[in-house]
Amino acid sequence: MKNSRWHLKPLTVAFALVGLVGLSSQQAVASIDTGDDTTELSGFVENATYFRDSVGLTKFRNTLQLEGTKLLGNLGAFSEVSINGTFRATYDGVYDLNSNEFGDDAGGSVLLESLVDFGAGNLVPNGGGIPLGTLTPAGLVNDGLIVLGEHLHDADGGVTFPVPVRPCDEDSRGCLGGYMDDDLDDLRYSDFNDRWDFIRELYINATIDMDSGTAFNLQVGKKQEVWGRTDLFRVLDVLNPVDFSRQNIYDELEDIRIPLWMATAEWQFGANDVLDDMNVQFVWIFDKFRPNRLGQAGTPYQILDAGSLFRGLNNCWDNGCTVSNFAGGNTTTNFGPGVLGIRDVHLPDWSLENSQLGAKFEGVYRDIGFSLNAFYTRSQLPSLRGGIPSDNPFTGGGLPGLPPEGAFGPEPQVYPYLISFDIHFPRVVLVGGSLDYYADSLKTAFRGELAWTKGEEFANTLKPRLFSESEVVRWVIGADHNFFIRSINKNKAFLASFQTFGQHILDHDRENGPLGEVGIPDRENNYISTLLLKGWWFQDRVSPQIIQAYDWGANAYVVSPSVDWLINDSWRLQVAANLKFGDGARKFSDCRTCNPFSPFTATPLHNNAVALPSPPFPPGTFAADAGDIGLGGFEPLGRFQSGPIGMAQKEDEIQISLRYRF
Amino acid sequence: MKKLTKGLLGAALLSVAASASAVTDADIDKSFKPYTNGFPTVEGVVPGLVINKDNVDTYASVLDEGMIKHIKDGWVEITVGEPMDFVLNQGYIDATKAGAKNHKLGAKVGEIEGYVAGRPFPIEPSLDDPRAGEKMAWNFQYGYNWGDGAAISPFYWKYRNMNTGQIERTIKFNFYFLNFAHRVNHEPKPEFPKNPGELFRGIYLNVEEPFDVKNTQLLIHRSQNDLKRDNAWLYLGFQRRVRRLATGQVTDSFLGSDLMIEDFEGYNGRISDMNWTFKGTRTMLLPMYDSSKQKRTAEFNESDGYTYSTYHGKGGCFPNVTYSLRKVYVVESDPVDPNHPIGRRMHYMDAQTFTLPRTVTYDRQGKYWKSWMIGQAHPDSHHPVNKGTGVSVDDSFGMMDVQSMHCTTGQFKGLVDPSLVKKKQFSVQYMRSFGK
Repeated sequence: MKNSRWHLKPLTVAFALVGLVGLSSQQAVASIDTGDDTTELSGFVENATYFRDSVGLTKFRNTLQLEGTKLLGNLGAFSEVSINGTFRATYDGVYDLNSNEFGDDAGGSVLLESLVDFGAGNLVPNGGGIPLGTLTPAGLVNDGLIVLGEHLHDADGGVTFPVPVRPCDEDSRGCLGGYMDDDLDDLRYSDFNDRWDFIRELYINATIDMDSGTAFNLQVGKKQEVWGRTDLFRVLDVLNPVDFSRQNIYDELEDIRIPLWMATAEWQFGANDVLDDMNVQFVWIFDKFRPNRLGQAGTPYQILDAGSLFRGLNNCWDNGCTVSNFAGGNTTTNFGPGVLGIRDVHLPDWSLENSQLGAKFEGVYRDIGFSLNAFYTRSQLPSLRGGIPSDNPFTGGGLPGLPPEGAFGPEPQVYPYLISFDIHFPRVVLVGGSLDYYADSLKTAFRGELAWTKGEEFANTLKPRLFSESEVVRWVIGADHNFFIRSINKNKAFLASFQTFGQHILDHDRENGPLGEVGIPDRENNYISTLLLKGWWFQDRVSPQIIQAYDWGANAYVVSPSVDWLINDSWRLQVAANLKFGDGARKFSDCRTCNPFSPFTATPLHNNAVALPSPPFPPGTFAADAGDIGLGGFEPLGRFQSGPIGMAQKEDEIQISLRYRF
Repeated sequence: MKKLTKGLLGAALLSVAASASAVTDADIDKSFKPYTNGFPTVEGVVPGLVINKDNVDTYASVLDEGMIKHIKDGWVEITVGEPMDFVLNQGYIDATKAGAKNHKLGAKVGEIEGYVAGRPFPIEPSLDDPRAGEKMAWNFQYGYNWGDGAAISPFYWKYRNMNTGQIERTIKFNFYFLNFAHRVNHEPKPEFPKNPGELFRGIYLNVEEPFDVKNTQLLIHRSQNDLKRDNAWLYLGFQRRVRRLATGQVTDSFLGSDLMIEDFEGYNGRISDMNWTFKGTRTMLLPMYDSSKQKRTAEFNESDGYTYSTYHGKGGCFPNVTYSLRKVYVVESDPVDPNHPIGRRMHYMDAQTFTLPRTVTYDRQGKYWKSWMIGQAHPDSHHPVNKGTGVSVDDSFGMMDVQSMHCTTGQFKGLVDPSLVKKKQFSVQYMRSFGK
């Protein structure tokens, strides 16, 4: 997402922010006095500095945020008309201050593991694998690279490949146009891009109070719209995509929801003979579709390390690449372009047909608050669909003993079970609901959300195109309980908030292959539990808390203790840690043994394997059906076993934020 | 048999105490107009008198225990002001006359039968009545505190260090009150027609400043059935979510202040949450005054020229207002829940208005914990919109935690104007749409 219109000088912004802090600290005001009762203006400046074990600086983000409301009063049939805006400008200095890790100097030359020493040793440089194709000159440049997953695990006999990690203006290899192609300025000034993300919100709000007592509320503009009742998990809170590149899954949703242009119309009926409160809302998101931002290779925060995987795969497609332990499951191999990897990203164009629609019915019945929700949307996560025309590396390469191009039909052609993909964002329908209830006997408030979706797609090595669609049920149940420990805090209760998130993939597909499990790497049922413990002292000005999360399937645990200190009405200091424990990286079938190019990739373990005569075929050559028999490793599908917590296992951090409000 | 006799006798007494008494219009007039024959007098306690640590013993009979201590400690001096007649709204008095004979206490604390509107028990309480305290509590609960609906907008709270006087935080709120039932002055009366939850009252507030709590909103639904727990929801601006509140959060510090939600208006809980004991009738000094004769401040630059109460004394924690001699019912409440943070409260109820201008709170060890003052301004001396409303206007408060030497003060702009209060504000969905 290019920011060609927003080429700002980093030092200019830094000085402006610092200058504003200096000016504001002298004024010591709680908000900006506009001298106009109909205009409200406030905001903050903030520095967030994070350090990661063995990496150093991972964030030096400076933010200026302004929030304003202009009350316009009555306009025609509408009353309470207002314009609301939130604007944010950020400069993340990590790309300048730690450019060896994240920036123009990131990465270097790489060596890839090869279990079989074919004369180059067991560590093979980029471009040094056995030749099943020829890398382009760009693909052969062994600089600005890392090995996929190297921060988390060794290859351990599995698949890895090089990943370019420098900003896309410095190194365009593997950059996916319009999806993951940020240049240095895009990364440093992430709010300034072609989608004008510096406008966090800008919408008009208007109400019609009807004689019947019903209030009709209309909001049109760029905004966040939040559904649901639970924290941290997004079961119903899915109208806006989110930006995981700010801090993986650990940032406040308020700061990482990506605002969209939309219109919401809501009828607030109030009480009737049955319900204490009832309202109906319709949402029309007419913005051009935007997926979640997953983070880009070479940046500090990537959910599931997806940015690196995608960039490495796109580099493989465009330039060819060297893949560790591939041929025969043990020999590092060079592939030419157009064989493996990600070819393209299909982001839906803007059209009326591609807009998104939501509806919510909400009410209070006796002591139960509830909602019923429906959303016609698109998957905000990418689906990698195989089945694209690709080259057979065993033909046409002029390699000794291999047939010429066209020996098995015209090239390129679609090969089943071949790890070459386009990225799509399929249509998804969501139906769900939520409720909350306070149980006086337990002194506990309960919250729950449930959603069923149709249309989501999952990686699936049992399918010829390596994905399958499945209906999914997700739910969260949460409980909030306040309790006193008077010996340490007489006036203020502590909060314990417990949640468990569950996901059930209805059309789950997994089998035991001869060499390991094959199918959908995500678990059929998985659960993540969270526990928040929070206390307040000194008139709520000092608030320590511990958030813990445990992924039961991945055996991945994260604990984040923090202390929030409101120094006064203007200044706030927050110090936190983010520590992970557990199994970390996990393995799953990587489709090395998917046999897309029979007979060259077939083994006796594949279905309908038939030994081919020798000669003309080399001894031990088989023809067999394509399909996965389960040889696996950490990459690329083990990430779905590890989950977002496990994949960030090596990303322990200390985090300091200082904010000045005005 | 002896036990059975005792039990029957007790039940019979309770039954007598709970039954509707033969209330006459004269009783009701006396309840609402106790000063028809003149204001109470105490020798030496005249307008202009300043009570300080040197003379406090002389006037101890008109002060509560907590205030005597504060004055003796040199924390504050109080000035006696002119007495004023706070006659409540005629609609409320009329409703009292119409309904006072038709209701009675139920068998349990917190039960009231046949009540429609007005002052539930417009009678002179008796120390011989074991449920007199409970009746006084009902008179407060169903009082004309903010009329059928009102707003405090804005409402400034300052968190202060009592030792240094430093103001640590300033919170700018807007409070709204609406009676869903027992309405006496504005249509629909006596109850909104669509009220399936049988709510009595809604309290809604939002925070404008400072930025870290901006858009925080609280909604409380109180049922007509006192035995039913309040429903409460909190909207946190930074989360954009409405959270159902657990009850524990109404008995701990609200947004870091020295108040718990249960302290709002003097007492903001269920009758059934407390044991109520009537301790007697006294003539006392309460912070009830003519606001036009107080020292006011224009620090918040209101465009309509409204000025706010000021503060003085130790840490700037005491409302700088005059006190006037009033007929006072002393009522003690102690929590039913043994885990409640409070041991007991001593309420000094103004007998004419049934407001709670003074409450002294003790912790579970019986130690003096909090000193709670809510200054009452006569409506005719206050904001023009309040003139003639017959509402004793909450105008200033000081809540002191004398153990931690900290206080919270409140400066009200109370407006008894039903047009400022909309029913839709008291819904969960309104919190979402207001919170953006």
